[in-house]
Amino acid sequence: MNFKIPNFVKTNQFGLLCLVIFFICIFSFSTDGFTSRFNIYALSRVVALDIMIGLAMMVVILTGGLNLSLGALGVSAAMFGGWCMESMGIPIPISIILVLAFGSFLGWINGFVTVRTGVHSFIVTLATMSIYFGFMTLLTEAEAFRKLPEIFTDFGSLKLFNKYISPLLIISVLTCFILYYVFKFTDIGRKLIAAGANPDAAELSGISVDRMFIYCHMLSGFLAALAGIMLTARIGAAIPSMAGHLGFDWLLPAFLAPVLGGTLLSGGKVTVFGTMLGAILVTLINNGLYLIDVGEFWVRFFLGMILLGAVLLDRAREYFTVKNSIVS
Amino acid sequence: MSDNILELKKITKNFPGVKALDNANFRLKKKSIHALLGENGAGKSTLIKIITGVYNQNEGELFLNNKVQSFNSPNEAMNSGISVVHQERNLIRRFSVGENLMLTNLPKNNLGLIDYNAVAKESKKWLDIMELDIDPNTIVSDLTVAKMQLCEIAKALSLESKILLLDEPTSSLSPQDTKNLFVLLKRLVAEQDVSIVFVSHKLEEVFEICDEVTVLRDGKNACESEQITNLNRQQLVKLMIGRDEQIINSKKTVNFDDKNLLNLQSINTDLGHKDINLNLKKGEILGLYGLVGAGRTELLKCVLGLEKINSGQILLNNKEIKIKSPKDALEKFKIGYISEDRKKEGLILMHDVLSNAGITVWSNLKKILSFLNDQIVYNKVDPYVKQLEVKTPSYQQIVSNLSGGNQQKISVAKWLASGTDILFIDEPTVGIDIKTKSYLHELIIDLSLKGTSIILITSDMPEMISLADRIITMKDFKVVGETINTHNYEEMSSSIMGNIHE
Repeated sequence: MNFKIPNFVKTNQFGLLCLVIFFICIFSFSTDGFTSRFNIYALSRVVALDIMIGLAMMVVILTGGLNLSLGALGVSAAMFGGWCMESMGIPIPISIILVLAFGSFLGWINGFVTVRTGVHSFIVTLATMSIYFGFMTLLTEAEAFRKLPEIFTDFGSLKLFNKYISPLLIISVLTCFILYYVFKFTDIGRKLIAAGANPDAAELSGISVDRMFIYCHMLSGFLAALAGIMLTARIGAAIPSMAGHLGFDWLLPAFLAPVLGGTLLSGGKVTVFGTMLGAILVTLINNGLYLIDVGEFWVRFFLGMILLGAVLLDRAREYFTVKNSIVS
Repeated sequence: MSDNILELKKITKNFPGVKALDNANFRLKKKSIHALLGENGAGKSTLIKIITGVYNQNEGELFLNNKVQSFNSPNEAMNSGISVVHQERNLIRRFSVGENLMLTNLPKNNLGLIDYNAVAKESKKWLDIMELDIDPNTIVSDLTVAKMQLCEIAKALSLESKILLLDEPTSSLSPQDTKNLFVLLKRLVAEQDVSIVFVSHKLEEVFEICDEVTVLRDGKNACESEQITNLNRQQLVKLMIGRDEQIINSKKTVNFDDKNLLNLQSINTDLGHKDINLNLKKGEILGLYGLVGAGRTELLKCVLGLEKINSGQILLNNKEIKIKSPKDALEKFKIGYISEDRKKEGLILMHDVLSNAGITVWSNLKKILSFLNDQIVYNKVDPYVKQLEVKTPSYQQIVSNLSGGNQQKISVAKWLASGTDILFIDEPTVGIDIKTKSYLHELIIDLSLKGTSIILITSDMPEMISLADRIITMKDFKVVGETINTHNYEEMSSSIMGNIHE
C-alpha cells in the first residue's frame, strides 16, 4: 500500500471540522428549524461573539496564563462605549476607538500586575474581574444605556448574504485572519509565541518576555472590548448584566473554544482557526440542544463535560508532542 | 556461589533512535567500592536507572544476591536494599533532619499522630552510626552542603540499604569534606556490610577510594570490573574516551597588553559576588573555572542584567555601559550568552529548528510593519546551520526530537547567526558525544581567531586547558586566581586546583 494520509487529516482542526459536520447533520435531522434562515442567522450572531471571546482568551493562554476578567472587562468596555455614545454624544467611530483603547488599558493592568508581582494571572485576573465589574456597577449605578445611535444598533441587526449571516460574524472571521497573519508572518507574533513557550530561553535569546506578556494581556483586553461592542450592537443596548454576574457567562465559551481548538494550556502554541472551529462547535451544540429542548441544566452539563474532555485532550496533546506547526 | 551482591549481565537498553546500553556487564562485589566511569552519554545514568528500577532493560538480566530480579519501580529497588544518593539533594529543605530520615516510616503514637520524640531518637541512631554530630531537630536548609550530603547517606542507611549508589557525591564538597566523606564510606563498607557504586568524573578520587572499576563507552563495556590497581590514570582516560587525552594547542597568540574590550571593575552583586575584577581582550578566550556553586554562571547573568549589580562598573571599549536585559546586551552591545542548560534556557524544545535558530535575528530581519516570513529567516540562518552540520530531517522538525549534540549545535547556531562581538559560553559540551565535542572545540577556537571574544565556563578541566587563553579561578563568588594558560595539563591543573584549595 502506498497510501499516505495527508498531514491535514492528522491535525486537531480536521477532527474538529468532522465534529462540526457531524453535529450539523445530527441537528438537521433531529430538530425542526435548525437549518431555517432564522436559526442560521441567529447562530451566526452568537458564533461571532463566541469566536471573539475565544480569541481573547487564546492570546493569554499563549503565555501559559488565563484571563478570568474577560467577561467583566468586556462588559466594562461596552458600558464605557454606551456612555461615550449616549451620554457624551461622541461620534460612533471615535467611540469605538476609545472603547478598544480602554479595553487594551484594562488588559495592560492585568498584564502589568501579573508581570511585576510574578503572581499567576489566574489570581490577578480573578481580582481584577471583581474590581472591573465592581467599578463598572458603581459608576453606571447598574443602569443600562438603551438609547444608542440607531446606525450602531441597526448594524447589529443587519442581515447579509440573502439574510443568512450577521455582519458581526464577518468581523470575527476577519479578526481570525488578522491574528493568523500576526502570529505567522510578523516578528512580534513570533516573539509572543516564543515567550509563551519558554520564557527563560526567550529572555536569554534577547526577547523582552515581560513586555511580550503585557502585549498578550493588552491584546486580550482589546479583543474582549471588541466582543463587548459586538454584543452591545447585537442586543441594541449596553446592559451591565449582559454577560451575567461578573461576566461569568463568557468564561465557558472562552475556555472551550481555544482548548478544543488545540491551544496548549501550558502556553507556546496558538491555533487561531482551531479556536474558530471550537467556538463554532460550542455554539452548535448549545443551539442544537436548546432546539431539542433538553432543558437549561443539560446544556450546561454537556458543555461542562466537553470542557473536561477538551482538557484531557490537552494533556494528551502535550504528551504526544506538538508535531504540528505552532501557528495554525 | 560468587560473592557478588549485584550483577548485571548483557544489559541492552534501547531508546528511540539510540542504543543507550549495548550488552553491558557490571559486577559489584560484597563490601567493595566500585567505580562506574564513562563520559557523558556513555550510558552510566541509564545503567543506574536500571539498577534502581526507573527503567527496565530490553535485554539481559539483573542478579541480586545471585538471584534474578526485576524491579518495576524505584520503590521495589529501595525495598530490596538499593539506594541512590543523587547529585541533586533529595531532602525536603523545610523539614528537620529527623523527619527527612524517617520520612517513609514515621513513628506514630497511640493516637496515630507522629511521635516526634521517637523520630528524633530513631534518626539519632543512624546519625550516630555515621558519627555525625547533627541534632535531628535541625532544619535541613540550615545545614551545610556537605552535611546535607551526609544526611542523604544516613537516610539511605536508615532504609537498611546494602547497596549505595553515589552519583558525583563530591562535586560540591570542599577537599576537607571530601576527605571526611571517604573515611566514612570506607568505614561503612567495613562495618555495615555496605557495597558502594561510586560515580565520579574526578579520577584522583577513584584511585583513592575504589577497589574495582567499570568503564562504559557508547553503551558498551570499555572495561569490566577491573582491579583498580591494574590501571593507571592514562589508561583509564583512554578507556573512557577511546583515545589519549588530547590537549589541543591552538598556537594562537593573544596580546595581553591589548586594550580591554570588556572590563568588570569591582562588581558587587545581589547574589553575593564580591569585588569582581576581570577583563576580556579582543579575540581572547577567557576561561572561568571553579567548583559548582562558585558563582560563575551567576556572574554572567548579572552582567546580562538578569540579576542586580549593586556596585562597580562594566566598561565596553573603556566606556561605561549599563546592561538592563539580555535584549539590551544583544541589540545594543552585541553580547550573547549560550546557556549551560540548553533544555531549559537555551532552546524552546516544543518549537521547530527554524524558529530556534532564528530567534536572535528576528528583530534585525523584520521588514516594514514587523513583517517576517519563514523564507527570510531561513536565508539568514541556513549557512550557520549548514556550517555546524546539524543533522535534522527538516527545518520544521521539533527540536526536542533531535539528539543532544544537534540540539547544542542549534543553540550555538543561533548565536553565530546573531553576529555578536562577545559570547558567553557556559558548559558547551555537557552531555554531548565526543565527536560533536571536539567539533565544538574547534569552532570555539575558530571563532576567537576571527575576532570574537569569548568568556568560557566549563567544569571540564581538559576542555578548559585546551581552549582558554587565560584562566580565572572563582570560589565562593570571588575571583581567587588568574593564570595564563600554558596548555600543559599537569602544570595548569595543579595551579588551578591550588588556587581553589588555598
